[in-house]
Amino acid sequence: MKKIKSLLIVFISIITSAYGQDQTAEPQFQTSSPFNQAKFVPDISFITDFSFVSRDIDNELYSQLHIPGFMHHSENGEHEGFNSKKGFNLNYGELTLYSIVDPYFDLFAVLHVAQEHAGLEEVYFTTRKLPYGFQLKAGKFLSSFGRINEQHAHYLDFAERPLVLTSFFGDEGLNELGVRLTWIAPTDFYLMLGAEVLTGENEASFGKAGFADPSGIVNIHAIENPSLIVGYAKSSFDIREAAILIGASVAQGTTRRDENFSSSDGNGEALDASTTIFGADLTVKYTPDAIRILTFQSEYLYRTTNGHSYLRDTLAVTKSSFDQNQSGFYAQLVAKTGLRWRLGLRYDLLQLNDIKSGGVLGALPKNLPRYSAMLEYSPTEFSRFRLQLTHDKTKYFHTDDGILHNKPYTEILLQCTIGIGAHGAHSF
Amino acid sequence: MKKIFMFITFLLTLASITYSQLNVVTTYPYIADIVQRVGKEKVQVTALARGDYNPHVIVPKPSYIAKLRKADLLIINGAQLEIGWLPPILKQANNGTIQPGEKGFLDLASRVHLIEVPKNVSREMGDVHPEGNPHFCLSPDNIPVIATAIAQKLSELDPANASAYEANKTAFLKLWEQKASQWQKAMEPLKGTKVIEYHKIFDYFIQHFGLSLAGTVEPLPGIPPTTKHVAEVEQTITRDRIRFILQDVYNPKDASQYLAQRTGAKLLVLPHDVGAVKEAADIIALFDEIVRRITQ
Repeated sequence: MKKIKSLLIVFISIITSAYGQDQTAEPQFQTSSPFNQAKFVPDISFITDFSFVSRDIDNELYSQLHIPGFMHHSENGEHEGFNSKKGFNLNYGELTLYSIVDPYFDLFAVLHVAQEHAGLEEVYFTTRKLPYGFQLKAGKFLSSFGRINEQHAHYLDFAERPLVLTSFFGDEGLNELGVRLTWIAPTDFYLMLGAEVLTGENEASFGKAGFADPSGIVNIHAIENPSLIVGYAKSSFDIREAAILIGASVAQGTTRRDENFSSSDGNGEALDASTTIFGADLTVKYTPDAIRILTFQSEYLYRTTNGHSYLRDTLAVTKSSFDQNQSGFYAQLVAKTGLRWRLGLRYDLLQLNDIKSGGVLGALPKNLPRYSAMLEYSPTEFSRFRLQLTHDKTKYFHTDDGILHNKPYTEILLQCTIGIGAHGAHSF
Repeated sequence: MKKIFMFITFLLTLASITYSQLNVVTTYPYIADIVQRVGKEKVQVTALARGDYNPHVIVPKPSYIAKLRKADLLIINGAQLEIGWLPPILKQANNGTIQPGEKGFLDLASRVHLIEVPKNVSREMGDVHPEGNPHFCLSPDNIPVIATAIAQKLSELDPANASAYEANKTAFLKLWEQKASQWQKAMEPLKGTKVIEYHKIFDYFIQHFGLSLAGTVEPLPGIPPTTKHVAEVEQTITRDRIRFILQDVYNPKDASQYLAQRTGAKLLVLPHDVGAVKEAADIIALFDEIVRRITQ
């Protein structure tokens, strides 16, 4: 009897306590649907960049400028790069999505949005827990060749990429579809080895399209398999409060160029070659105290292309050997002097410019410099204003009678980069 | 002969000890010191950041990646204090065992009660932490909670030494209790004292010892002082007869110095982490030094 009574008390108290809980415990977040997935929304950020440009040459001449042997000017005015017009420029909007996919993968996507068109700049997944210090990345991504190539535009220290990088990899950098495998050595100092297998279609250095002259004498087939291989080793160590990062990279792939060669009218030119680009980089970041940071960064790139060029005129197709050796580097010093201020200097130089066609060395300009200085004010990490002064002596244009002229110019730009949303932190 | 044999045995034991040591990496030095006290010779511990730098903006050196690559356990402060520098290097370390959610990862913020959790967040409010104020290590009440979480985690990863971790923790908590009552006693006369601080970094300390916060020199978290705001703070100091301006070691001190000079309030530069000042050599010395600087 006593047992039943005590059991009853327990039972009642359970019911009342449950009832009581029902009365008091209100859910903290009332969602509209029991299937709401708001907590699984990826990190989304949007960064936009616009500028005001003042330049001592007019837009039309600017659009015709090129660097002989290095950089062609755009035929139709497209792909002119950032800050190309005097006055206001809307450079880009960059929409970034990132999330953990599941216990095994992360997914990262960057949509590059320009005024007229949009594209997937990067979309890739990476592994989360491969053993022994390995990580695999697959999709479309900026190659980790060298130092600056894999950095997004909003993270650059100057308004545009260094000259040697845009010359060898184009305005969009070495950005390809493929896979990457990296390995971090289990050593006391940082040692990273990486290899990439990429499609091999880069506007400035690599290509795989076939070409054939209309008569069918020359017929070079397209390469359908991935044709670009990149490898690098990076290492770092600290000396007191200075972190030193060094890297060596190599990219090897095929080069194809078809300039009106496959067409039936006019004269045409084509190139079938193999290109190797070597890179060496050095970064020293010194943090003397909690606020100031002094960063020296430099990269040297050397490109060698060997193969055959084909020249088609109304009479015949001439095949000749083609050998090109080019090099360039940049060196920059950026100082964060206060909580909100940074200033920087950069020196760009395109050094070697030897192009031998049929064993004859062409007379191309070499040792072409560009100087840049910038001052940055960042109210917070989400907004940044940059004043940049550039003096460029690397550009040439053809006069109406076909004579090549050097055209140095000076440019002042005020650049504004603003970001919202959840954007991941940047690496070193 | 026997001596040589003994020496070899000694070397072998030494080798096996170093080999079996758990490799623990912590983001900040205060965590490393607690791990050292709980793990003693069974662990090898490294802190990534320096204690005298701004904990929000640490330069993510590649050498940290090398340390994370070899770690068995990563212990972070959490509550987004590391969000500006740790995620990319943790990702690049290619070490699956210490990623968030894995066994070799411990987020201390998940174990303590966070104060100042904002109801709404907007970047208009400056650098606010949506999960609450992340500087919880400055409440003496939170250190035993942290030590317990660390002891649990070490035991989970290295069950063979669980009793040693438990014993070390118990000894540390006993010592901590003694020290905490000393600090309590020393701080007693200051109860109710109104203070100004530069950044909201000493809030847990202020709350624990019954001080009261009357304002910050920064207009918003992470936003440097403006003339208008400093003038307002000056008025507050004069009106409420505020005695102390608490300043961390890493932010510029000119605004606080100006206020101290104008109002006669005392500028106290206080350590916020182990190693922030020379005297704060470990977690006990950190509190000793804060209390000494306030009470002297």
